[in-house]
Amino acid sequence: MWGFGFVRAPFSPAHGVVRAAAGESPHAVDARLPPAEGCRIPPRYGRRTALRRRSGAMTGEALRSTDLRKIYRSKGAPPTEALTGVSMVVHPGERVALLGRNGAGKTTFLRIASTLLRPTSGTIEVFGYDADRTPDKVRPYIAVVPQEGKPFFHLTPREQIYSYLRARGLGRETSKARTQEALDRMSLTEFADRLSITLSGGQRQRAMVATVIATEAPLLFLDEPTIGMDPFARRSVWESLRVLTRRGSTILLTTHYLDEADALSQRLYIIDRGTVLVSGTAEDLKRSVGGTLKVLLPEGAAEVERFRTFGSCVADGESLTVIAAPERLGELMDVAVRSHLTATVGPVTLEEAFLRVVGRSIHED
Amino acid sequence: MKTELEHRARPFRGLPAFLWTEVLVQAHEELAMATSMIVQIVLLVFVWVLNPGLIGVALVGAVLFSMFAMGQRVLNEAAYIRIDHKVSDLYLASPLSAEAYFLGISAGVLLVYLAPVVVVATLATVVVHLAAAEVLLLALLAVTVWLISASIGYVFSTAFRDNRAIWAYSSLFFNIFGVLPPVFYPFGLFPAPLRPIVLLMPPSAAAAILQAAIGVTVLTRPELWLASGGLAVEGVGLFLFAAYWARRTVRGG
Repeated sequence: MWGFGFVRAPFSPAHGVVRAAAGESPHAVDARLPPAEGCRIPPRYGRRTALRRRSGAMTGEALRSTDLRKIYRSKGAPPTEALTGVSMVVHPGERVALLGRNGAGKTTFLRIASTLLRPTSGTIEVFGYDADRTPDKVRPYIAVVPQEGKPFFHLTPREQIYSYLRARGLGRETSKARTQEALDRMSLTEFADRLSITLSGGQRQRAMVATVIATEAPLLFLDEPTIGMDPFARRSVWESLRVLTRRGSTILLTTHYLDEADALSQRLYIIDRGTVLVSGTAEDLKRSVGGTLKVLLPEGAAEVERFRTFGSCVADGESLTVIAAPERLGELMDVAVRSHLTATVGPVTLEEAFLRVVGRSIHED
Repeated sequence: MKTELEHRARPFRGLPAFLWTEVLVQAHEELAMATSMIVQIVLLVFVWVLNPGLIGVALVGAVLFSMFAMGQRVLNEAAYIRIDHKVSDLYLASPLSAEAYFLGISAGVLLVYLAPVVVVATLATVVVHLAAAEVLLLALLAVTVWLISASIGYVFSTAFRDNRAIWAYSSLFFNIFGVLPPVFYPFGLFPAPLRPIVLLMPPSAAAAILQAAIGVTVLTRPELWLASGGLAVEGVGLFLFAAYWARRTVRGG
């Protein structure tokens, strides 16, 4: 069997939201993060190799980027600065989400980290290896689900996964066993021997994710891995990724599904226009917007001034949304009752926190 | 047992497995396989109708033309994988080497589409009464033409962002290099002032050498050197360039 002796890398403690101050180098954001303790390279994936690493050899980081910049230049168009100095650290065994609007720079970052694109400046290391200068050394450690990638239409999911593992250099028996497990895990067994051309879009996407999950590579990059999947399939992916990180793999994913980032990531980075706006846990990010409760007052817009003292207020037509701390909820409800307003209370979602963080950035610009 | 991380990086790492992947992918394209020899058959019929005495030359030309056409398939396949399926990143960001990726696609196409070419080559051997040495020469020239064509096909596949643009260019290559020059007809029928040009084109250079070997065409010594030297330089040079280019373009060119 292919089971291997991954020791689960201790998850680094919640770092809290670290926000780049105005004018502060994005690199400083990560410089303020406490170093991870006790993280180590999964033994099966070459402790020997890991010890031979040069720069960052003993830092125990799965990925570290420092002031990473990327400028796209093409004839007849002005240069586009996709990354303007991204500094980031991912520790072994972590699940980290990169969030951002379309064109924020997430995919560019992932492509540079996965050796598919060269940065304009800055450095990026994967398990201590320079991903720009020594991509051949990095590639055995990584596997990538490309954005909008589709499996070969004229292969079955079983053939796709098995042949990919073989191409990566895994043995026959190992490949066969891992293929079956990945198919089972992604609920693809029923379709395992049907050509991918006959599968639905969501099933094809599951086949792509299964292909990468089956590698059990130390660092997986997933660019919008659950796009087009139904809620059940998405949860299968989440569970598979959790299992992988329990075994020692590290996950860096991008997604536009904020519930996915919330449910799956242990830490997240929000990127906008090539810069890290904030990093931390989802809970920290939610707290950073002024409270963890969202009070919706459907007819409260006219009374906005009475609620400003409880937290940030957003008026939308006649309704008013107040983000408040739980300890002030009673007081807030008293004001609502006195104002003859009905109120609905719920938790602040990551999506709301995201919209506020990114929206604030846009507003500041 | 070695883990995948303990392997040292080397050119063509992972080639057998990726080649097999490509063979599986291509082998399911029954329609493409069935129609892979249509142009050659049509041209053979034209030659047979116009001058049955030239059918032997045309059969030999059909073999070389078919090998050249493989390059066009490499162009289409590599572009399709990268542009339509966007699955190239899966393989290129892995221990599979970029050279193995290029050669895997090329050789996969070759293996799947080779069978009808072997049939035509066998027919040519019988009709023209090729000696063993001439059969070996045909095989060597065919492999060289394939290598050049596959290399050109792969390199061009990396230059496009839209498959529709590729259709136009692949049709151009197909006709300029394969149909127009003296591949299906004797080299001696081609206008003399333009002969040096076609001797630098892989299919017509190979055809001219073979026609000279079987006594259909007379090549002067400079023409022979130009054709054989050109093929050798193009074969080695373009293959090495394509391998280099494959590695370079992994990372966005």
